[in-house]
Amino acid sequence: MAKFHPDLHVLTEFTAGTLPLAQSACVSLHLTYCAKCQEITEAQTAMAANLFEDLEPANVSDSQLDIVMSRLDEDAPLTYPKTPRDDASSTPAVLQRLMHGDFSDLTWKKITSALRISYLSTGDPYYEFALYHIKAGGVIPEHTHRGSEMTLVLEGGFSDSEGTYHAGDFLFRESGDVHSPAALAHEDCICLAVLDAPLKFTRLRHRWMNPFLQLKAS
Amino acid sequence: MSVVTKKPGDEVANLEFGRRTDEWSQCLRTIAKHRDRSAFARFFKQFAPLIKAFALSGSTLSANHADELVQEVMLKVWQKADGFNPDKASASTWVYTIARNCRTDLYRRLQKFDTPLSADDVSLDQDGEEPAAMLHQRRMRDRIHAMMNTLPADQAHILAKVYMEGKSHSEVASELDLPLGTVKSRVRLAIQKLQIQMED
Repeated sequence: MAKFHPDLHVLTEFTAGTLPLAQSACVSLHLTYCAKCQEITEAQTAMAANLFEDLEPANVSDSQLDIVMSRLDEDAPLTYPKTPRDDASSTPAVLQRLMHGDFSDLTWKKITSALRISYLSTGDPYYEFALYHIKAGGVIPEHTHRGSEMTLVLEGGFSDSEGTYHAGDFLFRESGDVHSPAALAHEDCICLAVLDAPLKFTRLRHRWMNPFLQLKAS
Repeated sequence: MSVVTKKPGDEVANLEFGRRTDEWSQCLRTIAKHRDRSAFARFFKQFAPLIKAFALSGSTLSANHADELVQEVMLKVWQKADGFNPDKASASTWVYTIARNCRTDLYRRLQKFDTPLSADDVSLDQDGEEPAAMLHQRRMRDRIHAMMNTLPADQAHILAKVYMEGKSHSEVASELDLPLGTVKSRVRLAIQKLQIQMED
């Protein structure tokens, strides 16, 4: 069970459909781990539906009804049921879709001896959506963020000065936070990070890498 | 803080709501089971004006796009009616969810996003729940409705901007010329009431 959750405002914008695409994919992945946040978003949706019912009805001409009636025989688009995530170890469907397979099918770019990154394409031009693989016990060099960073732990866990995070835990850090996360000692950690600006290593010996960390949003 | 008082019309309103909900749930079932076009036309007359209002309340859509959205949502109603589960959601929640996702997808199409994900892919699945959870949800739904009727106007106004107009908290803040913190706290107050309802 996840212990760290999106705050109410993130969940609100998620249910309202206004959260940027890459961030909403990240929140929806958290929901596959978290019954509590699922329940909150369901209640928010029911609340929104009440507002919807109370809207001042707009004028819809009869020709609109005719058009829709004449299209009822069109073939429905193909749909596939979402794979239920009853097995806690299975990869959530949205992620499988974006990865075109599993973690092993990805191209991992080596950043340090402990850190590899794989960039996935969500189609969101403003946010980078990347998987981080941190080796057991490995540390990501101290860095800060020029923008916001959403993180979701997918496998294993990591810790930083503020806590220890396990699969399903969700973190949202604003720009300017300096941290140096380390994977737990006995298990590799895979997490998802959604950024709107590249991270920036702060220590002199790692700064040379900063130019190689341009935002890869797409 | 405003004091929540029971207004004389409340019971009547809830009764009315329950009846109305059942009528449209029933109508959806008829559409699904019998592919009944006259039931669909009735459903259209009830919901198309709300869908169009929803489309237009998100400020950036033209009247043409709003009509396009009405068509798209109503076609989905016809195509997906089979998946509607009245124990899981009310008819209006079900339609609202489709409309919201279609509007989000339309915005992204208009911004020329090239994405493998639709809003449906990242929104909660509305099917498949165990009976206990469904009972809980039905109770919660009634409570949420009652709660919405007692919401102070300033909170309701902001919720409408967030959910119907699809504005971010900071957009609402600048539009109403309020500090971001005030907008956030009004949203928080409203949703905390909701959570109290959920925990009962």
